Amino acid sequence: MHISYGIKTAVKGMAHEKWINLLSIMTVASSLLIMIFACLLLYNTEHIASTLHERFGMVAFLDDRLQASEIQAIIERIKQRQEIEGLRYISKEDALKELKERLKEDSYIFDGLDYNPLSPAIELRLKRQYITPQQVASTAKELKAIKGVSEVYSAEKVAEIIEAFYRSLSNFSLILLSALGAGIIFVVYSTVKILFYRRKEEIETIKLLGATRGFIRMPFLVEGGIIGLFGGLLSVGLSLLVYFAVTYRLSSVFPLLETILYPTEIALSFPLSGAILGLLGAFIAVGRLRF
Amino acid sequence: MISFVNVSKFYDYHTVLRSVSFTVQKGEMVFITGPSGAGKSTLLKLIYRDEEADEGEIRVGNFTVTSIRPSDIPHLRRNIGIVFQDFKLLRNLTAYDNVAIALRIRGIGEREIRQRVSEALKRVNLRHVADSNPKALSGGEQQRIAIARAIVAEPQVILADEPTGNLDPNTAIDIMNLLREINLNGSTIIVATHNRELFRGTGKRVLSIDSNRIIKEEQG
Repeated sequence: MHISYGIKTAVKGMAHEKWINLLSIMTVASSLLIMIFACLLLYNTEHIASTLHERFGMVAFLDDRLQASEIQAIIERIKQRQEIEGLRYISKEDALKELKERLKEDSYIFDGLDYNPLSPAIELRLKRQYITPQQVASTAKELKAIKGVSEVYSAEKVAEIIEAFYRSLSNFSLILLSALGAGIIFVVYSTVKILFYRRKEEIETIKLLGATRGFIRMPFLVEGGIIGLFGGLLSVGLSLLVYFAVTYRLSSVFPLLETILYPTEIALSFPLSGAILGLLGAFIAVGRLRF
Repeated sequence: MISFVNVSKFYDYHTVLRSVSFTVQKGEMVFITGPSGAGKSTLLKLIYRDEEADEGEIRVGNFTVTSIRPSDIPHLRRNIGIVFQDFKLLRNLTAYDNVAIALRIRGIGEREIRQRVSEALKRVNLRHVADSNPKALSGGEQQRIAIARAIVAEPQVILADEPTGNLDPNTAIDIMNLLREINLNGSTIIVATHNRELFRGTGKRVLSIDSNRIIKEEQG
């Protein structure tokens, strides 16, 4: 009962005070729009970054004198480790072939050699969560301890970069989203506070008629929620417009722009987040009611 | 129905009411009179707990107003219909909605609200202005709407604070006749007024307040 009264009163109140509410919706939409762009930036950066770990490699060099069965045993042993995503065995012959291919016209330097100086090796790919400097170091140490493994090469520096990148990305997103979220709460808080004071006389009257706190608060909470919801819908609409403009129109000039992704979760979650933040702002604005 | 036992009210160092005691029986109509500033309005405000008594005990029906919990104040007020001198109608609502709000507060369904508001407006002879905004109505009509709002939920007690203070003499008589008629139907009514003409010849009990206390009890 209170909810239907709250919705009706809030809608009436919003129509009555349309300019301040419209201004508030637009301010919330602007903040949410920045948040959406930030999220898109983070999402796309992370998407690109998720391919970074594929470039991270670890190579375990094996003894020259190992038999095929011993090599196979080492491969099986390494395969069973939880941090290994995949591996590739490179025989002495394959290693030399690959090196010659890479050196191309300079490959003549091997012409004078009557033996293959390269060792057989296992090229490893680690799962993303294991690419941290500490984990890489400990994996390398453990692999080196395996009998038959002569040397382990790992690009710890790359691991450090990847880790630092993720850390700063998540810190940045946390700070940005918190600041803008607080901004939205403040905007709705200010709007509802103004509307609350404008209706002070009316509120005092209905208090005397026997209204409970819930009854008095409900229209303001609904109003805050509606401001947030509409702000969210507007921001999603605007961001989609910008997204399509950028991906379809500008991609002919900058083909890279075509690869930008807009996940459905953003389109769905932002109106809801707006409504929740609006509700929170309104809740703080209405505060404690005294009788 | 209502009892005051040695009730006092002070504002800072100023005494508004001192050791006031009286009772009002169920179905009774009582006038509180006295000069401006005597404490008539404060006395009514103490009943619906808009003001808090500093000493003594006030009871309204089953509620002990002087020790009521804040969360119970709305429930106390739902047992009381209040008519104010300045009407206190909500300017952005129609006459109908101004009456209906008293029922909406109580969580009553819209179908029942329609029926009860229509009856209340009929009792005050204003069914034809249901869709009007209070601003478009005369002072007398606005006060009738306020009375309809006070009676629509059939409260145990009706309090009227200078209900004719802003009205011309003829309209004032109409309003008083209306309140008497409501009283005849069984409602307990307390009217605070400085206008002695309103209770002269009514035969109702009159409590006179002066110098912060009830100084006289008489028949109107």
